[in-house]
Amino acid sequence: MRKTFLSQNPSVLIFIALLAVFTIVVTLLSEVTGVGLISTSFVKTLGKTLCLSLVAIAMDVVWGYCGILSLGHFAFFGIGGYAIGMWLMYARTEGIVMTSLASQPLPPTPAEISDAIGNQIFGVVGSSEFPLIWAFADNLFVQLLMVVLVPGLLALVFGWLAFRSRVTGVYLSILTQAMTLALALYLFQNDSGLRGNNGLSGLQNIPGFEETSQAKVSIAFFIASAFALGAAYIGFAWIVSGKMGSIVQGIRDNEARVRFLGYHVESYKLFIFTTTAVAAGIAGALYYPQAGIINPGEVAPIASIYLAVWVAIGGRGRLYGAVIGAVFVSLLSSWFTGGGAPNVNLGFYTIQWTDWWLVLLGMSFVAVTLYFPKGIGGLFDYLVRKPS
Amino acid sequence: MSMLLEVNGVSVTFDGFRAINNLSINFAPTELRAIIGPNGAGKTTFMDIVTGKTKPDEGTVIWGERNISLLGMSESQIAREGIGRKFQKPTVFEAQTVRQNLAMALKTPRGPFSVLMHKKTKANGARIEAVAEQIGLADSLTRSAGELSHGQKQWLEIGMLLAQEPRLMLVDEPAAGMTPEEREKTTDILREAAKTRAVVVVEHDMEFVRRLNCKVTVLHEGSVLAEGSLDHVTSDQTVIDVYLGRSHA
Repeated sequence: MRKTFLSQNPSVLIFIALLAVFTIVVTLLSEVTGVGLISTSFVKTLGKTLCLSLVAIAMDVVWGYCGILSLGHFAFFGIGGYAIGMWLMYARTEGIVMTSLASQPLPPTPAEISDAIGNQIFGVVGSSEFPLIWAFADNLFVQLLMVVLVPGLLALVFGWLAFRSRVTGVYLSILTQAMTLALALYLFQNDSGLRGNNGLSGLQNIPGFEETSQAKVSIAFFIASAFALGAAYIGFAWIVSGKMGSIVQGIRDNEARVRFLGYHVESYKLFIFTTTAVAAGIAGALYYPQAGIINPGEVAPIASIYLAVWVAIGGRGRLYGAVIGAVFVSLLSSWFTGGGAPNVNLGFYTIQWTDWWLVLLGMSFVAVTLYFPKGIGGLFDYLVRKPS
Repeated sequence: MSMLLEVNGVSVTFDGFRAINNLSINFAPTELRAIIGPNGAGKTTFMDIVTGKTKPDEGTVIWGERNISLLGMSESQIAREGIGRKFQKPTVFEAQTVRQNLAMALKTPRGPFSVLMHKKTKANGARIEAVAEQIGLADSLTRSAGELSHGQKQWLEIGMLLAQEPRLMLVDEPAAGMTPEEREKTTDILREAAKTRAVVVVEHDMEFVRRLNCKVTVLHEGSVLAEGSLDHVTSDQTVIDVYLGRSHA
């Protein structure tokens, strides 16, 4: 079984091999080994890119394979980030508070500790009370479980309601977008219990590893992201190959026909929607400790639209296409908007790439949709086409 | 003999238009039946009702020995009960191979988790090859369904129906766009299939219906106008009037 899976999907082996080589090379050239050719901040960028590739794969499975154009998968990504961020922030603040209280003559009571931590975390939104959703913030295990459970349950309930009512196509896209918009608006509120537009910050400081250098922490997260991406690639390749893949792609191409074959289409859509939401949650939980901060703007609808653009440019319906799209577009985006690209002086007008990048991206999206529906990944078809 | 499917007094109205009007029609467990009728007679709507796509306003649709009603069931449940349908326009999964198309239709557990854990077995492979042989696509199993000719797509869809092993096959215009040789072969496939199950063929083409050589039901304005052998119904005066458009003369 395993043998046939890999022999039928040679791209999986190639991808895993390339990912392994990439991970080892980056690690060796990083500041951890003393070589330092790759700065710690660039290691973080690469690690974040791996996480974005992971959520792009999820998007490709749900859209490219199953035909559900979800414009809300970044909501799941953000929820994963918030879930882990709550523990990171709580545990780190607890450490700081305990140190400062230790100098007092009387040992602090649990209530005093809780108050002090609450003050530190929620002072910015004028509160010191712990909201209910922080009930398990001190427990890493529970918060890790939340990374998986909250996106999964949200996707399950949302998907069940939407698919059961046979909402499809553009209407479903609008619904998913409304979902992520509602989440963003909720998080923006100061009394949502997640610090409003301040978001959660200082996430790059891992509690218990205060003495460890950021160079080491960043490499650890980079490698963890690479493992998660590799595992997700294998897992989703397994799902979309074989009979499950047949049915899922059948649903994309002709939902009614699959139904008349006796398959309960809604269950299949729900399965795909939920597993990809969980993958997105895991990607987010790995991404935000590397980014250091998460705020409600991260789950705004535009983020999920970018996700669709990456997958379209990279090539829908092939997992490596999604990875190519995410890597290529997100790195290019940080190059253009980070001042990496030289501005073009036309004499009468200077093209500032920070402004014009979006125009360029938009035009590439239109061009890809019109002229290269297979995206960059489609180029590989020319390479491997057997002479006939 | 007890009936496989009993449709009784079924009516359905779309925006004031009565597509099916007090229709009653029965099918035995093994028979070949042709349903003919002019455009708008309700042939496709009848199939939609039986397969769960359309819910009728009134009437009953009773299935099998246990006499269960199909009306509360979803399309996929009805399909799992053993009713297979071939559409007028051939609808195969063009992006996938002939083998994948047949494998998807093959009668195996339909739940997502049994599908996820599905393993290819020799027995299933043999069933796929047997069906492919029957529909003349044994050499095309690895071809993409999109590359097939129109007639081959029609056969592939009939093959998918056979692979489903339904007890009732509803076949909408199987001969549309086929060459005379292809039609002959299609007739053979359907007659063979009808030996072990009920096969209902909706067809416009009288020549094709004559070749099927079976009981014919004529639908008109949503109800049964006549029933019997082709010669019997074609000599029926009301049928002649309907087909020649003289019903109001």
